[in-house]
Amino acid sequence: MKLFWFETYKIFSRWRTYISFGFIALIVIMTEVVMKLSANEILYRMMRSFQKDFLIFGNVLNGWFITAFIMNSLHIHIPFFITLVAGDIVSSEATSGTVRLLLIRPPSRSKIITAKYLTTLFYTTGLVIFLGLICIIPGLLLFGNGDLIMNYQTKFRIVLIPEAEVPLRMLLAFTAAVWSMTVVASLAFLFSTLAENSIGPIIGTMAVVIVFLVLGNFPFDFFRLLSPYLFTTYMVFWQRFFDDPIPWREIARSAILLGLHNIGLFLIAFIVFNRKDIKS
Amino acid sequence: MEDDSRKEVILRTHGLSKKFGKRWAAKDLNLEVQRGDVFCFLGPNGAGKSTTIRMVLTLLMPSSGSIEMFGMDLHKHRHAVLSRVCGIVEKADFYLYLSAYKNLEILGSMTRRVQKEEIMQALDVVGLTSRAFEKVKTFSHGMKQRLGIAQALLTKPELIVLDEPTTGLDPQGMKEVRGLIKKLAIDKKMTIFLSSHLLSEVEQVATRMAVINRGELIAQGSVAELLGKEPLEYSIQVSPFDSAVELLKRLPWVVILSAEDGKIELHVEPGHASELNRFLVSNHVEVLSFYPHRTLEDFFLKITEGISDI
Repeated sequence: MKLFWFETYKIFSRWRTYISFGFIALIVIMTEVVMKLSANEILYRMMRSFQKDFLIFGNVLNGWFITAFIMNSLHIHIPFFITLVAGDIVSSEATSGTVRLLLIRPPSRSKIITAKYLTTLFYTTGLVIFLGLICIIPGLLLFGNGDLIMNYQTKFRIVLIPEAEVPLRMLLAFTAAVWSMTVVASLAFLFSTLAENSIGPIIGTMAVVIVFLVLGNFPFDFFRLLSPYLFTTYMVFWQRFFDDPIPWREIARSAILLGLHNIGLFLIAFIVFNRKDIKS
Repeated sequence: MEDDSRKEVILRTHGLSKKFGKRWAAKDLNLEVQRGDVFCFLGPNGAGKSTTIRMVLTLLMPSSGSIEMFGMDLHKHRHAVLSRVCGIVEKADFYLYLSAYKNLEILGSMTRRVQKEEIMQALDVVGLTSRAFEKVKTFSHGMKQRLGIAQALLTKPELIVLDEPTTGLDPQGMKEVRGLIKKLAIDKKMTIFLSSHLLSEVEQVATRMAVINRGELIAQGSVAELLGKEPLEYSIQVSPFDSAVELLKRLPWVVILSAEDGKIELHVEPGHASELNRFLVSNHVEVLSFYPHRTLEDFFLKITEGISDI
Protein backbone atom coordinates (compact mmCIF):
# COMPACT_ATOMS: atom_id res chain seq x y z
CA MET A 1 0.00 0.00 0.00
CA LYS A 2 2.85 2.34 0.90
CA LEU A 3 4.57 1.60 -2.40
CA PHE A 4 1.32 2.20 -4.27
CA TRP A 5 0.94 5.56 -2.54
CA PHE A 6 4.51 6.55 -3.41
CA GLU A 7 4.02 5.60 -7.04
CA THR A 8 0.79 7.56 -7.20
CA TYR A 9 2.47 10.55 -5.57
CA LYS A 10 5.30 10.34 -8.11
CA ILE A 11 3.08 10.24 -11.19
CA PHE A 12 0.86 13.04 -9.93
CA SER A 13 3.93 15.17 -9.19
CA ARG A 14 4.80 15.27 -12.88
CA TRP A 15 3.23 17.77 -15.20
CA ARG A 16 2.96 15.25 -18.04
CA THR A 17 0.33 13.38 -16.04
CA TYR A 18 -1.95 16.40 -16.25
CA ILE A 19 -1.53 16.78 -20.02
CA SER A 20 -4.07 14.01 -20.50
CA PHE A 21 -6.60 15.53 -18.12
CA GLY A 22 -6.10 18.98 -19.64
CA PHE A 23 -6.46 17.75 -23.22
CA ILE A 24 -9.55 15.70 -22.45
CA ALA A 25 -11.18 18.64 -20.68
CA LEU A 26 -10.31 20.94 -23.57
CA ILE A 27 -11.52 18.59 -26.31
CA VAL A 28 -14.74 17.67 -24.53
CA ILE A 29 -15.70 21.21 -23.53
CA MET A 30 -14.87 22.48 -27.02
CA THR A 31 -16.94 19.71 -28.61
CA GLU A 32 -19.87 20.45 -26.34
CA VAL A 33 -19.74 24.17 -27.01
CA VAL A 34 -19.45 23.63 -30.77
CA MET A 35 -22.35 21.15 -30.65
CA LYS A 36 -24.41 23.62 -28.69
CA LEU A 37 -23.72 26.32 -31.26
CA SER A 38 -24.46 23.96 -34.18
CA ALA A 39 -27.38 22.18 -32.54
CA ASN A 40 -29.82 22.70 -35.39
CA GLU A 41 -27.45 21.41 -38.05
CA ILE A 42 -26.55 18.36 -35.97
CA LEU A 43 -30.19 17.58 -35.29
CA TYR A 44 -30.99 17.83 -38.99
CA ARG A 45 -28.17 15.42 -39.91
CA MET A 46 -29.14 13.03 -37.15
CA MET A 47 -32.77 12.90 -38.08
CA ARG A 48 -32.67 12.99 -41.85
CA SER A 49 -31.93 9.27 -42.21
CA PHE A 50 -34.90 8.13 -40.17
CA GLN A 51 -37.37 11.02 -39.99
CA LYS A 52 -39.31 9.51 -42.90
CA ASP A 53 -40.04 6.37 -40.90
CA PHE A 54 -40.22 7.64 -37.30
CA LEU A 55 -41.90 10.39 -35.45
CA ILE A 56 -39.51 11.57 -32.79
CA PHE A 57 -40.38 13.95 -29.96
CA GLY A 58 -38.44 15.35 -27.05
CA ASN A 59 -34.90 16.50 -26.34
CA VAL A 60 -32.93 14.30 -28.75
CA LEU A 61 -29.69 16.25 -28.57
CA ASN A 62 -29.33 15.83 -24.81
CA GLY A 63 -26.40 15.40 -22.42
CA TRP A 64 -26.46 11.60 -22.70
CA PHE A 65 -26.34 11.66 -26.46
CA ILE A 66 -23.44 14.11 -26.37
CA THR A 67 -21.61 11.81 -23.93
CA ALA A 68 -22.12 8.73 -26.13
CA PHE A 69 -21.04 10.73 -29.18
CA ILE A 70 -17.83 11.92 -27.51
CA MET A 71 -17.03 8.43 -26.19
CA ASN A 72 -17.29 7.09 -29.72
CA SER A 73 -15.11 9.86 -31.07
CA LEU A 74 -12.36 9.60 -28.45
CA HIS A 75 -11.75 5.88 -28.25
CA ILE A 76 -8.52 6.31 -30.25
CA HIS A 77 -7.32 9.35 -28.32
CA ILE A 78 -7.78 7.99 -24.82
CA PRO A 79 -5.29 5.11 -25.35
CA PHE A 80 -2.69 7.65 -26.31
CA PHE A 81 -3.20 9.58 -23.09
CA ILE A 82 -2.98 6.36 -21.11
CA THR A 83 0.30 5.36 -22.71
CA LEU A 84 1.82 8.71 -21.71
CA VAL A 85 1.87 7.50 -18.12
CA ALA A 86 1.74 3.71 -18.47
CA GLY A 87 4.59 3.68 -20.99
CA ASP A 88 6.70 5.86 -18.76
CA ILE A 89 6.13 4.47 -15.29
CA VAL A 90 8.93 1.87 -15.35
CA SER A 91 11.12 3.06 -18.20
CA SER A 92 11.50 6.57 -16.76
CA GLU A 93 13.13 5.05 -13.67
CA ALA A 94 15.77 3.53 -15.96
CA THR A 95 16.18 6.77 -17.92
CA SER A 96 16.66 8.86 -14.81
CA GLY A 97 18.78 6.26 -13.01
CA THR A 98 16.40 6.12 -10.05
CA VAL A 99 15.80 2.44 -10.73
CA ARG A 100 19.12 1.80 -9.00
CA LEU A 101 17.98 3.61 -5.87
CA LEU A 102 14.65 1.86 -5.95
CA LEU A 103 15.83 -1.70 -6.40
CA ILE A 104 18.45 -1.68 -3.67
CA ARG A 105 15.72 -1.13 -1.09
CA PRO A 106 14.27 -3.96 0.97
CA PRO A 107 10.94 -4.28 -0.89
CA SER A 108 11.18 -7.02 -3.49
CA ARG A 109 11.02 -6.37 -7.19
CA SER A 110 7.70 -8.22 -7.26
CA LYS A 111 6.19 -5.70 -4.84
CA ILE A 112 7.63 -2.75 -6.71
CA ILE A 113 6.36 -3.86 -10.11
CA THR A 114 2.95 -4.75 -8.68
CA ALA A 115 2.67 -1.32 -7.03
CA LYS A 116 3.58 0.32 -10.31
CA TYR A 117 1.01 -1.74 -12.19
CA LEU A 118 -1.73 -0.93 -9.69
CA THR A 119 -0.83 2.75 -10.00
CA THR A 120 -1.10 2.46 -13.78
CA LEU A 121 -4.56 0.92 -13.43
CA PHE A 122 -5.53 3.61 -10.93
CA TYR A 123 -4.46 6.35 -13.34
CA THR A 124 -6.30 4.66 -16.23
CA THR A 125 -9.47 4.36 -14.19
CA GLY A 126 -9.15 7.96 -13.04
CA LEU A 127 -8.72 9.19 -16.60
CA VAL A 128 -11.80 7.37 -17.91
CA ILE A 129 -13.87 8.50 -14.91
CA PHE A 130 -12.69 12.05 -15.54
CA LEU A 131 -13.75 11.69 -19.18
CA GLY A 132 -17.15 10.48 -18.03
CA LEU A 133 -17.65 13.32 -15.58
CA ILE A 134 -16.41 16.00 -17.96
CA CYS A 135 -18.81 14.67 -20.63
CA ILE A 136 -21.87 14.08 -18.50
CA ILE A 137 -21.98 17.05 -16.12
CA PRO A 138 -21.44 19.89 -18.62
CA GLY A 139 -23.42 17.84 -21.18
CA LEU A 140 -26.50 17.68 -18.96
CA LEU A 141 -26.07 21.33 -17.96
CA LEU A 142 -25.78 22.51 -21.56
CA PHE A 143 -28.11 20.10 -23.34
CA GLY A 144 -30.45 18.84 -20.64
CA ASN A 145 -31.83 15.36 -19.98
CA GLY A 146 -33.72 13.03 -22.30
CA ASP A 147 -33.95 9.61 -23.92
CA LEU A 148 -30.82 8.33 -25.62
CA ILE A 149 -31.15 7.58 -29.31
CA MET A 150 -28.35 5.49 -30.77
CA ASN A 151 -28.30 5.43 -34.55
CA TYR A 152 -26.34 2.39 -35.78
CA GLN A 153 -26.14 3.38 -39.44
CA THR A 154 -23.98 0.43 -40.47
CA LYS A 155 -26.52 -1.97 -38.97
CA PHE A 156 -29.52 -0.01 -40.30
CA ARG A 157 -31.20 0.32 -36.93
CA ILE A 158 -31.78 2.75 -34.15
CA VAL A 159 -32.05 2.02 -30.45
CA LEU A 160 -34.00 4.19 -28.05
CA ILE A 161 -33.07 3.97 -24.40
CA PRO A 162 -35.54 5.58 -22.01
CA GLU A 163 -34.25 8.47 -19.91
CA ALA A 164 -34.65 6.48 -16.67
CA GLU A 165 -32.42 3.68 -17.94
CA VAL A 166 -29.66 5.82 -19.40
CA PRO A 167 -27.66 6.61 -16.20
CA LEU A 168 -27.25 2.92 -15.38
CA ARG A 169 -26.34 2.04 -18.97
CA MET A 170 -23.84 4.91 -18.99
CA LEU A 171 -22.30 3.66 -15.74
CA LEU A 172 -21.97 0.16 -17.18
CA ALA A 173 -20.52 1.52 -20.43
CA PHE A 174 -17.93 3.58 -18.58
CA THR A 175 -17.03 0.61 -16.39
CA ALA A 176 -16.51 -1.43 -19.56
CA ALA A 177 -14.48 1.42 -21.07
CA VAL A 178 -12.22 1.39 -18.01
CA TRP A 179 -11.78 -2.37 -18.46
CA SER A 180 -10.94 -1.92 -22.16
CA MET A 181 -8.43 0.80 -21.45
CA THR A 182 -6.63 -1.32 -18.87
CA VAL A 183 -5.50 -3.57 -21.72
CA VAL A 184 -3.86 -0.61 -23.44
CA ALA A 185 -2.35 0.33 -20.09
CA SER A 186 -1.07 -3.24 -19.57
CA LEU A 187 0.49 -3.31 -23.02
CA ALA A 188 2.22 0.04 -22.50
CA PHE A 189 3.29 -1.14 -19.04
CA LEU A 190 4.87 -4.27 -20.50
CA PHE A 191 6.74 -2.22 -23.11
CA SER A 192 7.82 0.11 -20.32
CA THR A 193 9.48 -2.74 -18.43
CA LEU A 194 11.33 -3.77 -21.60
CA ALA A 195 12.59 -0.31 -22.53
CA GLU A 196 14.93 2.19 -20.95
CA ASN A 197 13.21 5.28 -22.29
CA SER A 198 9.61 6.39 -22.52
CA ILE A 199 9.34 7.12 -26.23
CA GLY A 200 9.58 3.49 -27.33
CA PRO A 201 6.77 2.20 -25.12
CA ILE A 202 4.46 5.11 -26.00
CA ILE A 203 5.01 4.83 -29.75
CA GLY A 204 5.10 1.03 -29.62
CA THR A 205 1.77 0.77 -27.84
CA MET A 206 0.06 3.27 -30.09
CA ALA A 207 1.46 1.49 -33.14
CA VAL A 208 0.05 -1.83 -31.94
CA VAL A 209 -3.36 -0.31 -31.14
CA ILE A 210 -3.63 1.52 -34.46
CA VAL A 211 -2.38 -1.42 -36.57
CA PHE A 212 -4.77 -3.81 -34.80
CA LEU A 213 -7.69 -1.40 -35.23
CA VAL A 214 -6.91 -0.99 -38.93
CA LEU A 215 -6.50 -4.76 -39.48
CA GLY A 216 -9.67 -5.48 -37.56
CA ASN A 217 -11.70 -3.08 -39.69
CA PHE A 218 -10.59 -4.10 -43.18
CA PRO A 219 -13.70 -5.36 -45.00
CA PHE A 220 -12.01 -8.45 -46.44
CA ASP A 221 -12.47 -12.10 -45.50
CA PHE A 222 -8.87 -12.62 -44.42
CA PHE A 223 -9.01 -9.73 -41.99
CA ARG A 224 -12.41 -10.88 -40.73
CA LEU A 225 -10.73 -14.18 -39.84
CA LEU A 226 -7.97 -12.28 -38.08
CA SER A 227 -10.30 -10.00 -36.16
CA PRO A 228 -11.17 -12.39 -33.27
CA TYR A 229 -7.46 -12.63 -32.41
CA LEU A 230 -6.97 -8.90 -32.03
CA PHE A 231 -7.69 -7.46 -28.61
CA THR A 232 -8.84 -4.21 -30.18
CA THR A 233 -11.87 -6.08 -31.52
CA TYR A 234 -13.13 -6.49 -27.97
CA MET A 235 -12.13 -3.05 -26.73
CA VAL A 236 -15.31 -1.39 -27.98
CA PHE A 237 -17.53 -3.79 -26.04
CA TRP A 238 -18.71 -0.88 -23.91
CA GLN A 239 -20.87 0.15 -26.91
CA ARG A 240 -22.93 -3.02 -26.41
CA PHE A 241 -24.48 -1.49 -23.29
CA PHE A 242 -26.41 0.81 -25.61
CA ASP A 243 -27.94 -2.16 -27.53
CA ASP A 244 -31.40 -3.43 -26.89
CA PRO A 245 -31.51 -6.02 -25.48
CA ILE A 246 -28.06 -5.85 -23.89
CA PRO A 247 -26.00 -8.78 -25.29
CA TRP A 248 -24.70 -9.99 -21.94
CA ARG A 249 -23.03 -13.11 -23.31
CA GLU A 250 -21.01 -11.12 -25.84
CA ILE A 251 -20.11 -8.55 -23.20
CA ALA A 252 -18.98 -11.24 -20.76
CA ARG A 253 -16.86 -12.90 -23.44
CA SER A 254 -15.18 -9.63 -24.38
CA ALA A 255 -14.59 -8.74 -20.71
CA ILE A 256 -13.04 -12.16 -20.01
CA LEU A 257 -10.81 -12.04 -23.08
CA LEU A 258 -9.61 -8.55 -22.20
CA GLY A 259 -9.05 -9.67 -18.62
CA LEU A 260 -6.93 -12.57 -19.84
CA HIS A 261 -4.91 -10.12 -21.90
CA ASN A 262 -4.37 -8.03 -18.78
CA ILE A 263 -3.21 -11.03 -16.78
CA GLY A 264 -0.93 -12.25 -19.56
CA LEU A 265 0.65 -8.87 -20.22
CA PHE A 266 1.20 -8.19 -16.52
CA LEU A 267 2.69 -11.64 -15.94
CA ILE A 268 5.22 -11.12 -18.71
CA ALA A 269 6.09 -7.67 -17.32
CA PHE A 270 6.38 -9.18 -13.83
CA ILE A 271 8.76 -11.92 -14.96
CA VAL A 272 10.85 -9.59 -17.13
CA PHE A 273 11.22 -7.06 -14.32
CA ASN A 274 12.15 -9.69 -11.77
CA ARG A 275 14.85 -11.16 -13.98
CA LYS A 276 16.16 -7.93 -15.39
CA ASP A 277 19.80 -7.05 -14.85
CA ILE A 278 20.18 -3.35 -14.12
CA LYS A 279 23.23 -2.37 -16.10
CA SER A 280 22.45 1.31 -16.69
CA MET B 1 44.77 -2.72 17.01
CA GLU B 2 42.05 -5.33 16.98
CA ASP B 3 42.99 -8.65 15.47
CA ASP B 4 41.41 -8.87 12.00
CA SER B 5 40.62 -12.52 12.42
CA ARG B 6 38.36 -11.73 15.39
CA LYS B 7 36.29 -9.13 13.58
CA GLU B 8 32.82 -10.00 12.37
CA VAL B 9 32.63 -10.51 8.63
CA ILE B 10 29.51 -8.69 7.45
CA LEU B 11 29.90 -9.25 3.73
CA ARG B 12 31.34 -12.36 2.23
CA THR B 13 31.17 -13.54 -1.37
CA HIS B 14 31.75 -17.13 -2.36
CA GLY B 15 32.98 -17.73 -5.89
CA LEU B 16 30.94 -14.79 -7.09
CA SER B 17 30.88 -14.62 -10.88
CA LYS B 18 29.00 -12.76 -13.57
CA LYS B 19 29.15 -13.47 -17.25
CA PHE B 20 27.86 -11.14 -19.96
CA GLY B 21 27.72 -13.12 -23.17
CA LYS B 22 31.09 -14.81 -23.41
CA ARG B 23 32.89 -12.31 -21.19
CA TRP B 24 33.41 -12.81 -17.48
CA ALA B 25 32.85 -9.42 -15.85
CA ALA B 26 33.57 -10.95 -12.45
CA LYS B 27 35.09 -14.34 -11.88
CA ASP B 28 35.24 -16.43 -8.76
CA LEU B 29 35.43 -13.52 -6.34
CA ASN B 30 35.88 -14.32 -2.66
CA LEU B 31 35.66 -11.05 -0.80
CA GLU B 32 35.45 -10.38 2.90
CA VAL B 33 34.37 -7.10 4.42
CA GLN B 34 34.69 -6.88 8.18
CA ARG B 35 32.64 -4.72 10.52
CA GLY B 36 34.18 -1.26 10.84
CA ASP B 37 36.17 -1.48 7.62
CA VAL B 38 36.46 1.23 5.06
CA PHE B 39 36.94 -1.44 2.45
CA CYS B 40 38.14 -0.14 -0.88
CA PHE B 41 37.58 -2.13 -3.97
CA LEU B 42 40.26 -1.02 -6.34
CA GLY B 43 40.75 -1.69 -9.99
CA PRO B 44 41.16 -0.04 -13.36
CA ASN B 45 38.14 1.00 -15.40
CA GLY B 46 36.29 -2.06 -16.65
CA ALA B 47 37.88 -4.33 -14.04
CA GLY B 48 34.53 -5.55 -12.72
CA LYS B 49 34.09 -3.33 -9.67
CA SER B 50 30.68 -1.98 -10.60
CA THR B 51 29.48 -5.41 -11.67
CA THR B 52 30.45 -6.81 -8.27
CA ILE B 53 28.83 -3.94 -6.39
CA ARG B 54 25.66 -4.31 -8.45
CA MET B 55 25.52 -7.99 -7.54
CA VAL B 56 26.00 -7.12 -3.87
CA LEU B 57 23.09 -4.67 -4.12
CA THR B 58 20.87 -7.13 -6.09
CA LEU B 59 20.85 -5.03 -9.25
CA LEU B 60 22.54 -7.87 -11.15
CA MET B 61 21.93 -11.56 -10.64
CA PRO B 62 25.18 -13.55 -10.26
CA SER B 63 25.88 -16.17 -12.92
CA SER B 64 27.31 -18.32 -10.15
CA GLY B 65 28.45 -18.07 -6.56
CA SER B 66 26.70 -16.52 -3.60
CA ILE B 67 26.68 -13.47 -1.38
CA GLU B 68 26.38 -13.66 2.38
CA MET B 69 25.68 -10.56 4.43
CA PHE B 70 25.32 -10.40 8.20
CA GLY B 71 25.54 -14.18 8.15
CA MET B 72 22.51 -14.53 5.85
CA ASP B 73 22.25 -15.47 2.21
CA LEU B 74 21.43 -12.26 0.36
CA HIS B 75 18.92 -13.73 -2.06
CA LYS B 76 17.14 -15.88 0.50
CA HIS B 77 16.88 -13.09 3.08
CA ARG B 78 16.80 -10.10 0.78
CA HIS B 79 14.49 -7.95 2.88
CA ALA B 80 16.28 -8.56 6.16
CA VAL B 81 19.69 -7.99 4.61
CA LEU B 82 18.88 -4.90 2.58
CA SER B 83 17.20 -3.29 5.59
CA ARG B 84 20.70 -3.03 7.04
CA VAL B 85 22.44 -1.86 3.88
CA CYS B 86 22.33 1.21 1.75
CA GLY B 87 24.27 2.37 -1.24
CA ILE B 88 24.90 4.57 -4.18
CA VAL B 89 25.70 2.98 -7.50
CA GLU B 90 27.71 5.29 -9.73
CA LYS B 91 26.08 8.69 -9.57
CA ALA B 92 23.27 9.44 -7.19
CA ASP B 93 20.13 9.95 -9.25
CA PHE B 94 16.93 11.24 -7.76
CA TYR B 95 13.45 12.22 -8.81
CA LEU B 96 14.35 15.60 -10.22
CA TYR B 97 10.78 16.88 -10.05
CA LEU B 98 10.60 16.26 -6.28
CA SER B 99 12.31 18.16 -3.48
CA ALA B 100 15.32 16.78 -1.65
CA TYR B 101 13.11 16.25 1.38
CA LYS B 102 10.44 14.35 -0.55
CA ASN B 103 13.06 12.19 -2.26
CA LEU B 104 14.48 11.20 1.11
CA GLU B 105 11.04 10.62 2.55
CA ILE B 106 10.06 8.26 -0.27
CA LEU B 107 13.35 6.39 -0.46
CA GLY B 108 13.81 6.20 3.30
CA SER B 109 10.28 4.97 3.89
CA MET B 110 10.92 2.02 1.63
CA THR B 111 13.23 0.70 4.32
CA ARG B 112 11.45 1.86 7.47
CA ARG B 113 9.25 4.64 8.80
CA VAL B 114 11.27 7.86 8.85
CA GLN B 115 10.45 10.98 10.84
CA LYS B 116 10.80 14.52 9.56
CA GLU B 117 13.55 15.20 12.13
CA GLU B 118 15.57 12.24 10.83
CA ILE B 119 15.34 13.53 7.27
CA MET B 120 16.44 16.98 8.35
CA GLN B 121 19.29 15.49 10.40
CA ALA B 122 20.52 13.50 7.39
CA LEU B 123 20.36 16.64 5.26
CA ASP B 124 22.23 18.52 7.96
CA VAL B 125 25.08 15.98 7.97
CA VAL B 126 25.65 16.61 4.25
CA GLY B 127 25.07 20.36 4.51
CA LEU B 128 21.85 20.53 2.50
CA THR B 129 19.38 21.71 5.14
CA SER B 130 18.87 25.06 3.47
CA ARG B 131 17.99 23.35 0.16
CA ALA B 132 15.71 20.72 1.68
CA PHE B 133 12.54 21.86 -0.03
CA GLU B 134 14.00 22.76 -3.38
CA LYS B 135 13.54 20.48 -6.35
CA VAL B 136 16.54 18.26 -7.00
CA LYS B 137 16.69 19.43 -10.61
CA THR B 138 18.23 22.67 -9.31
CA PHE B 139 21.08 20.78 -7.58
CA SER B 140 24.65 20.51 -8.85
CA HIS B 141 26.24 17.09 -9.35
CA GLY B 142 28.15 17.45 -6.08
CA MET B 143 24.98 18.30 -4.19
CA LYS B 144 23.22 15.27 -5.64
CA GLN B 145 26.11 13.10 -4.56
CA ARG B 146 25.86 14.52 -1.04
CA LEU B 147 22.12 13.96 -1.12
CA GLY B 148 22.92 10.39 -2.11
CA ILE B 149 24.96 10.02 1.05
CA ALA B 150 22.12 11.59 3.04
CA GLN B 151 19.68 8.99 1.73
CA ALA B 152 22.18 6.29 2.58
CA LEU B 153 22.47 7.65 6.13
CA LEU B 154 18.77 8.10 6.65
CA THR B 155 17.97 4.47 7.33
CA LYS B 156 20.94 4.12 9.68
CA PRO B 157 22.49 1.23 7.77
CA GLU B 158 25.29 -0.90 9.15
CA LEU B 159 26.91 -1.15 5.75
CA ILE B 160 27.12 1.54 3.09
CA VAL B 161 28.11 0.50 -0.40
CA LEU B 162 29.45 3.27 -2.62
CA ASP B 163 30.36 2.75 -6.23
CA GLU B 164 32.83 5.37 -7.44
CA PRO B 165 31.35 8.02 -5.15
CA THR B 166 33.54 10.87 -6.38
CA THR B 167 33.13 10.28 -10.09
CA GLY B 168 32.45 13.50 -11.94
CA LEU B 169 33.00 15.72 -8.93
CA ASP B 170 35.30 18.74 -8.89
CA PRO B 171 38.23 18.70 -6.42
CA GLN B 172 36.19 20.49 -3.78
CA GLY B 173 33.31 18.03 -4.21
CA MET B 174 35.70 15.08 -4.02
CA LYS B 175 37.18 16.44 -0.83
CA GLU B 176 33.74 16.91 0.70
CA VAL B 177 32.63 13.39 -0.17
CA ARG B 178 35.86 11.87 1.14
CA GLY B 179 35.40 13.87 4.32
CA LEU B 180 31.88 12.51 4.66
CA ILE B 181 33.05 8.95 4.15
CA LYS B 182 35.62 9.33 6.92
CA LYS B 183 33.02 10.93 9.14
CA LEU B 184 30.61 8.03 8.60
CA ALA B 185 33.27 5.48 9.38
CA ILE B 186 34.68 7.22 12.44
CA ASP B 187 31.73 9.10 13.98
CA LYS B 188 28.86 6.83 12.95
CA LYS B 189 30.83 3.58 13.13
CA MET B 190 29.49 2.45 9.81
CA THR B 191 31.18 -0.10 7.59
CA ILE B 192 31.91 1.25 4.15
CA PHE B 193 32.42 -0.78 1.01
CA LEU B 194 33.74 1.57 -1.58
CA SER B 195 34.86 1.05 -5.14
CA SER B 196 37.23 3.39 -6.84
CA HIS B 197 39.84 3.60 -9.52
CA LEU B 198 41.38 6.65 -7.85
CA LEU B 199 44.42 5.54 -5.91
CA SER B 200 44.68 8.80 -3.98
CA GLU B 201 41.12 8.37 -2.81
CA VAL B 202 41.72 4.84 -1.62
CA GLU B 203 44.95 5.84 0.05
CA GLN B 204 43.17 8.53 2.04
CA VAL B 205 40.21 6.57 3.31
CA ALA B 206 40.84 2.81 3.17
CA THR B 207 41.53 0.49 6.08
CA ARG B 208 41.26 -2.69 4.01
CA MET B 209 41.20 -3.21 0.31
CA ALA B 210 40.88 -5.64 -2.53
CA VAL B 211 42.33 -5.24 -5.99
CA ILE B 212 40.47 -6.59 -8.98
CA ASN B 213 41.49 -6.71 -12.60
CA ARG B 214 39.64 -8.20 -15.55
CA GLY B 215 37.09 -9.62 -13.19
CA GLU B 216 39.57 -11.49 -11.04
CA LEU B 217 40.69 -10.78 -7.52
CA ILE B 218 44.40 -10.06 -7.39
CA ALA B 219 44.97 -9.11 -3.76
CA GLN B 220 42.98 -8.55 -0.60
CA GLY B 221 43.89 -7.50 2.91
CA SER B 222 44.47 -4.56 5.21
CA VAL B 223 46.13 -1.57 3.61
CA ALA B 224 49.03 -1.78 6.06
CA GLU B 225 49.46 -5.48 5.37
CA LEU B 226 49.41 -5.11 1.60
CA LEU B 227 51.61 -2.03 1.45
CA GLY B 228 53.86 -3.23 4.23
CA LYS B 229 55.22 -5.92 1.98
CA GLU B 230 56.80 -3.26 -0.17
CA PRO B 231 60.05 -1.34 0.60
CA LEU B 232 59.55 2.37 1.25
CA GLU B 233 60.77 4.90 -1.21
CA TYR B 234 61.04 8.64 -0.62
CA SER B 235 61.77 11.81 -2.51
CA ILE B 236 63.61 14.55 -0.68
CA GLN B 237 64.68 18.07 -1.62
CA VAL B 238 67.59 19.34 0.39
CA SER B 239 70.11 22.13 0.60
CA PRO B 240 73.10 21.99 0.21
CA PHE B 241 72.49 19.23 -2.27
CA ASP B 242 75.99 17.78 -2.75
CA SER B 243 76.87 17.49 0.91
CA ALA B 244 73.51 15.86 1.57
CA VAL B 245 74.23 13.22 -1.08
CA GLU B 246 77.61 12.54 0.52
CA LEU B 247 76.05 12.22 3.97
CA LEU B 248 73.35 9.84 2.73
CA LYS B 249 75.93 7.55 1.14
CA ARG B 250 77.27 6.88 4.64
CA LEU B 251 74.00 5.44 5.89
CA PRO B 252 73.75 1.64 5.56
CA TRP B 253 69.92 1.61 5.59
CA VAL B 254 69.63 4.07 2.72
CA VAL B 255 70.07 3.37 -0.99
CA ILE B 256 70.18 6.38 -3.29
CA LEU B 257 68.19 5.62 -6.39
CA SER B 258 68.80 8.89 -8.15
CA ALA B 259 70.13 12.34 -7.31
CA GLU B 260 69.56 15.10 -9.80
CA ASP B 261 67.94 18.50 -10.25
CA GLY B 262 68.01 19.13 -6.51
CA LYS B 263 65.92 16.04 -5.80
CA ILE B 264 67.07 12.76 -4.29
CA GLU B 265 65.10 9.56 -4.75
CA LEU B 266 66.01 7.00 -2.13
CA HIS B 267 65.06 3.68 -0.68
CA VAL B 268 64.86 3.63 3.12
CA GLU B 269 64.53 0.45 5.10
CA PRO B 270 61.31 0.27 7.14
CA GLY B 271 61.39 2.15 10.43
CA HIS B 272 64.15 4.61 9.51
CA ALA B 273 62.21 7.46 7.90
CA SER B 274 62.12 9.78 10.90
CA GLU B 275 65.74 8.90 11.74
CA LEU B 276 66.74 9.96 8.26
CA ASN B 277 65.12 13.34 8.72
CA ARG B 278 66.81 13.86 12.09
CA PHE B 279 70.17 12.82 10.66
CA LEU B 280 70.01 15.36 7.86
CA VAL B 281 68.91 18.22 10.10
CA SER B 282 71.55 17.46 12.73
CA ASN B 283 74.17 17.58 9.96
CA HIS B 284 73.09 21.09 8.98
CA VAL B 285 71.22 20.02 5.86
CA GLU B 286 68.04 21.94 5.28
CA VAL B 287 65.18 19.57 4.37
CA LEU B 288 62.94 21.44 1.96
CA SER B 289 60.58 18.54 1.30
CA PHE B 290 60.33 14.94 2.38
CA TYR B 291 57.61 12.74 1.08
CA PRO B 292 57.06 9.05 0.50
CA HIS B 293 56.40 7.79 -2.94
CA ARG B 294 52.77 7.01 -3.52
CA THR B 295 53.20 3.51 -2.30
CA LEU B 296 49.68 2.43 -3.18
CA GLU B 297 50.27 3.46 -6.74
CA ASP B 298 53.53 1.52 -6.78
CA PHE B 299 51.81 -1.45 -5.25
CA PHE B 300 48.90 -1.25 -7.64
CA LEU B 301 51.05 -0.86 -10.72
CA LYS B 302 53.30 -3.68 -9.60
CA ILE B 303 50.54 -6.19 -9.02
CA THR B 304 48.67 -5.26 -12.15
CA GLU B 305 51.87 -5.08 -14.19
CA GLY B 306 51.53 -6.94 -17.43
CA ILE B 307 47.87 -7.60 -16.90
CA SER B 308 46.59 -4.07 -16.56
CA ASP B 309 45.89 -1.56 -19.24
CA ILE B 310 45.11 1.25 -16.81
